[in-house]
Amino acid sequence: MAVLSRPGKILTLCSTIASAAVAMAFFTTPASALSLNPDAASPGIEKINTFHLIIFVVGVIAIVFVNLAILRAARPRHRHVHSEGTGGGRQMRVGLGLGVVALALFVTATVFSSQAREVPVGSSDVAGLNADDRLEIKVTGQQWLWRYDYPNTAFSYHQLVVPVDTTVALDLVSADVVHGWNVPSLTGKAQAVPGKTNRIFFRADREGVFSGRASVLSGQGYDAMESEVKVVSTAEYEAFIKQLKADIQEAQDSVVATQERELREAAEETPTGEVEPQP
Amino acid sequence: MSSFPRTMPPTRPEIVTGDAVDRPGWARLATSPDHKVISLILISAAFGSAFLAALELVLVRMQLAVPENLFLSAVTFDRLLSVYGATAIFLFILPLCIGLLYYVTPLQIGSRGTALPRLGQTGLWLFILGGFLLYASFLFTPPEAGINPFPPLSQHIFTPNNGVDVWIASTGLVTLGILLLAIDLLVTVRNMRAPGMAWRRAPIFVWTAAIVCWQIVIIAPIFLAALTMLMIDRQLDGGFFTGGVGGAPLLWQHLSYIFFTGAYMAVAVTMLGAISEIVQTFTRRQLPGRGVIISSLAAIAVIGTLAWTQNMITAPIPVGFKYYAMLLSIALIVPFGLIFYNLVSAVSNSDFHMRGPLRFAMGALSLASVGLAVEVSQSTIAVGSQLQQTYDAWAATHFALIGFGLFGGFAAVSYWYPKMTGRMLDEDRSRISFWVMFAGTLIALVPLLGAGVEGQVTDSYRFFASDNLSRFNLLASFGTLILFIGLILAVGNLIRSRSEGAASTPDPWRGSSLEWLTLSPPEPHNFDVLPDVRSTQPMQDIRDSLVRREVEEAAPAGERQPVA
Repeated sequence: MAVLSRPGKILTLCSTIASAAVAMAFFTTPASALSLNPDAASPGIEKINTFHLIIFVVGVIAIVFVNLAILRAARPRHRHVHSEGTGGGRQMRVGLGLGVVALALFVTATVFSSQAREVPVGSSDVAGLNADDRLEIKVTGQQWLWRYDYPNTAFSYHQLVVPVDTTVALDLVSADVVHGWNVPSLTGKAQAVPGKTNRIFFRADREGVFSGRASVLSGQGYDAMESEVKVVSTAEYEAFIKQLKADIQEAQDSVVATQERELREAAEETPTGEVEPQP
Repeated sequence: MSSFPRTMPPTRPEIVTGDAVDRPGWARLATSPDHKVISLILISAAFGSAFLAALELVLVRMQLAVPENLFLSAVTFDRLLSVYGATAIFLFILPLCIGLLYYVTPLQIGSRGTALPRLGQTGLWLFILGGFLLYASFLFTPPEAGINPFPPLSQHIFTPNNGVDVWIASTGLVTLGILLLAIDLLVTVRNMRAPGMAWRRAPIFVWTAAIVCWQIVIIAPIFLAALTMLMIDRQLDGGFFTGGVGGAPLLWQHLSYIFFTGAYMAVAVTMLGAISEIVQTFTRRQLPGRGVIISSLAAIAVIGTLAWTQNMITAPIPVGFKYYAMLLSIALIVPFGLIFYNLVSAVSNSDFHMRGPLRFAMGALSLASVGLAVEVSQSTIAVGSQLQQTYDAWAATHFALIGFGLFGGFAAVSYWYPKMTGRMLDEDRSRISFWVMFAGTLIALVPLLGAGVEGQVTDSYRFFASDNLSRFNLLASFGTLILFIGLILAVGNLIRSRSEGAASTPDPWRGSSLEWLTLSPPEPHNFDVLPDVRSTQPMQDIRDSLVRREVEEAAPAGERQPVA
């Protein structure tokens, strides 16, 4: 019972591959297929895009080459079989072995070239980074939101606001479980681990709101946890910090006022004379 | 002619593995120290687990088919995902690999059993216990801390229910069981090879067994240590993985990823070894690059395991660790490339007859090539910091592990199926199930590569319509369903052919190693007579000598040629 004949087999394979290819072509715009992160807003991410393009092309070529070889090897045919030792098989093997080594060396060279090294990976060297003029912000992950501590004791939740064209150093820590910081357009991914500081750098080169979803499973609210960065002009940033501090001050004042009022009311309800001294 | 007595006593009764006491079938199955019985239970359990894992994957994908789906709650999704991961890794792929090695290797080295059969039996029962424990947890609380439960999430404060304890206990039992089986196998291939079978003449799969067992002997205790620490943290208020009190949450990532990366490579090595045997048999010729293949397998095991920090590119570890892992991952291109080249060119230069095992082997190489290429890009810091923990990474791992584990597993099992059961696997059903599974895998995983590039993170129980991910996910869910149907067809073929398949001769594929000398299925003691091994292809030598003897007997006595 030959349910799938040989042409049927080839047809099935070709149609599968074709449908997968068509699906990919249909579902991805050329920009998103070739550029890892079209929305890049940081020099480091633009370098990652370039690097990804190189390794993507190399990978696709390798995959296509290997699979064509497999298809050619496995296709049904009647052929003359070379006896061992003829046809320069040994040279061919050595050549291909060297080819594989060369591929590995090429990828290594690309990866370790200065271009790809200078992406924000948690190391202190980022291209264009000015050590004296950087904004240091502490980012604390907690279930299931982020807290941002700016210099000068201002803090906020949910959204980080940074000035444009300024190198920002984020110190990622966690108050409870491991969280995944993830803003693809600015920093890529980095883990916030309790008891350890993960320092990453970025420098936004245009204004806008950039966000990503947390990338390490952190419990039941994980799906809704977002990291969001709003890049504004320097003046707006200063205004924001000023407003933030004023808001915090106001909130604290109102808390203090409430507490004082409650204390006063409590004192009015219980006259001091009736309080018995405690042993 | 009929001068033999009707019932012959065993040639050497004292070496028969197992006992001669007549017991009911299930008791014999449960208490037999015979490596073949143990492995058959392991392999059957592995395919049963594959079915369960695929079922859980289908449920997970059903939840992710449409954005903001309400099919499963967050907790149920996390539980299914955790159980899926544990099932796929600990109950399907690892037992399948070790079961194949444990069945075939003693036969290939011409041994009448394993060296430490009771150890192997204990290993089997630890595995079964672990498997039952994991699924018994559905009666109370299944694990819910993810496929790899990172502390502190997996610590008592954040997951106070018993789920993580079940995960620790069941994966620990399975790992310990696999470790015992590996020790038994390691001693066996070390000490019990047939006369003349030096290492240089040992089949590729025997080398594979030695490599994989050494690897398991090294990585399994590391994982068991990590599990013990997590258990102490949870049960006895320990602080191994608590940040700030002298413990380090990152320690878990290091220890568990040594194991998971090592296990990944063990699966790749086992299945590449099996595929090499299949290619060698079906091309009817010894692989020209035998030495290259064996040393590449060893290199994959060593380099791959040492590159564990490639999974931790986003973690706060010194950047040197990341460069080191990146360099080692790229170096893996060389051994993988050499093996792929050797196998594909061997098939290419031969006049083979396409049968189930070879078809699955080629499918395995094809799918794994996609997975490995994407894994290389994932392991570089630049791309990894963008694409790790997304569905791109998920798809890459699944391409490689479905390629090696599922397709390689079916290739190996359908190759040795006649030996295991005495019957041939139905070829038409095998072909249909292959194409259904192959199409299903492509449709399920290729869109997920796109979803990962678009930035969809893994482990989340829902995604949002605003993220532009719906089309990828719907297609992937559809493909998973096709893969599941293909898996049912393939497993169903294994079950049906057991009773309905055509009876097999001892050597249906004309293989070149010693397992084909035994009956199908082999006697409990494997071999009546142990041959002297003179080359890497002892079975070929035996066939040649039989032909020679027939020629000699056919020739008149006076013209007999002297045998050199």
